Amino acid sequence: MPVIEVKELTKVFKIPKKEPGLGGAVRGLFRPQYENKTAVDGISFQLNAGEIAGYIGVNGAGKSTTIKMLTGVLMPTSGSVKVLGRDPHRQRVENAREIGVVFGQRTQLWWDLALIESLNLIAKIYNVHPVKYRLMLNKFTETLELDELLNIPVRNMSLGQKMRSELAAALIHEPRVVYLDEPTIGLDLIVKERIRDFIKAECVAKGMTVILTTHDLGDIEELCQRVIIIDDGRIIYDGPIETIKKRFGKFREITFETVEDVKGLDLPEGAEMLSTDDHKVQIRFDRTVSTASKVAGLVMNQIEVRDFSLSEPELSDIVKQIYNGALDRDGR
Amino acid sequence: MIQTAKRDLSAYASFFAMMPKVFMAYQVWFWVGLVLNIISMAILVYFWRAIYNDASTISGLGLNQTLTYILLAFIFMPLTAIDLIWEIGSNLREGTIIHHLLRPINFQGMNYAQSLGTLVTRLILQIPMVVVAVLLFGLRFPGDLATWLAFIVSAMLGFTVMFFFNWFLACLTFYTTEIWGLGVLIEGMNFFLSGALVPLVMMPEWVRSIVLSIPFAQALAVPVGLLTGITPLSDAPRVWFVQVLWILGMWLASSLFFRVAVRKITVQGG
Repeated sequence: MPVIEVKELTKVFKIPKKEPGLGGAVRGLFRPQYENKTAVDGISFQLNAGEIAGYIGVNGAGKSTTIKMLTGVLMPTSGSVKVLGRDPHRQRVENAREIGVVFGQRTQLWWDLALIESLNLIAKIYNVHPVKYRLMLNKFTETLELDELLNIPVRNMSLGQKMRSELAAALIHEPRVVYLDEPTIGLDLIVKERIRDFIKAECVAKGMTVILTTHDLGDIEELCQRVIIIDDGRIIYDGPIETIKKRFGKFREITFETVEDVKGLDLPEGAEMLSTDDHKVQIRFDRTVSTASKVAGLVMNQIEVRDFSLSEPELSDIVKQIYNGALDRDGR
Repeated sequence: MIQTAKRDLSAYASFFAMMPKVFMAYQVWFWVGLVLNIISMAILVYFWRAIYNDASTISGLGLNQTLTYILLAFIFMPLTAIDLIWEIGSNLREGTIIHHLLRPINFQGMNYAQSLGTLVTRLILQIPMVVVAVLLFGLRFPGDLATWLAFIVSAMLGFTVMFFFNWFLACLTFYTTEIWGLGVLIEGMNFFLSGALVPLVMMPEWVRSIVLSIPFAQALAVPVGLLTGITPLSDAPRVWFVQVLWILGMWLASSLFFRVAVRKITVQGG
């Protein structure tokens, strides 16, 4: 039996329409106008025990709305959700016992209390056995380096410290299902790395089923075997990460800032010119055919380069390319 | 069943015990509040002394009786649990209500435990005001045990009425998504309607009938009335009975409203 089962899930928000100007504001008081916004539009998927799925999409694609329906705090407009065989909205309390949630942009810890107080309280709420709790706390203190944080109130913590605390709070009762909503947002590379390592170690070791939403393809590459890409409320890709990596991971872009205007350039095999602006050239190359040094070397031989930068493809580009049929062309 | 109840009780106890710690986080605020409270208390006392300049009794109450009532009402103000509306309101605004709804615990029960913790903490923090009232303004506490017991029962019932009533009001913030205006309005109304400013017996008949048909007075004027003897002790059972009816009504209304309102959660983000 799948751990998470989503069928034709849809959420429509009724948003009050604000008319411009004072007249509009007054009219809105008496006869409010609403417009319907479909945030999630008939999505279906299943997750088995121990699966870690990346759930990605650009801002406003419907990621968080889906997560909120999965956790039970938001009621679906239509369609159904089953988590461990339960309806998370109707059986909110029973469902809550089995899940752990991190919302990267909010805290579940008590703002004014020292971290240890929050953790003690959470352990009580979830009825974690005191011996077990000691054990978990000691382990988390070590793996997340919490020792200097336990006695500071959350309001005095930095973003990275807060996120480490959040993870401890979300996993201390060893949930079977974990939702991580942008757990690495705004963090620097070192903290990101540490958090990914922790998630990997915890979830894989315990066989947790995880849904991870993120903008960071690095998170996905490190943690997930499967990705679900959502755009405009619909699933546009659901499959192994390998396919995405093979198709999009092999391209890199180099942007050169040049001293003079560029007309034409000789490029090595596997590289193509994307655009030329005045004093700016964008080149994409296939990593399996060419290398950054080959491209850069050849370009620098032909023109004077002031500066250059190397970048990975953006998520939004990938989404755009999927729309343009990139995946169909390659065959899944 | 008993197992579950025991488990939940221990969680509720933790919420109760957490509140003093939350209050301790703001020590400066305690001192500022103390100074403000002393000033307010002095204003109230001098206001009433001025009114009694021309009369020895008003509506059958002498100056001392009125002052005792006003001072005790001031001290037991935390019974009105009025900050609940801010608590839930800010939860809604900041979206933290999501985390509370994600807990495997009854949300209302959790809040009741927290409010009770807040109440006890605030009453303890009122001790300096008791000292001020006794030393500066000559407050004399009623001595007999039966009166105190009647008061404590009525106070707990009244607090519970206000808990559910505030809960009901807080649900309005689901619709307004704005708490400041509502909160300030309710707090202002509470100050008068709870009977903190004027004893109920002094209000004109029609005002009093309005005040008694809404819940505010149940947590303050009613129990403090018993404590000061304005309401005779023999009336206590009737008073309790009315309060229990209030609790049932408010509990029902607030639970229904909350159930409807919670469906409306449309916290930002997509």
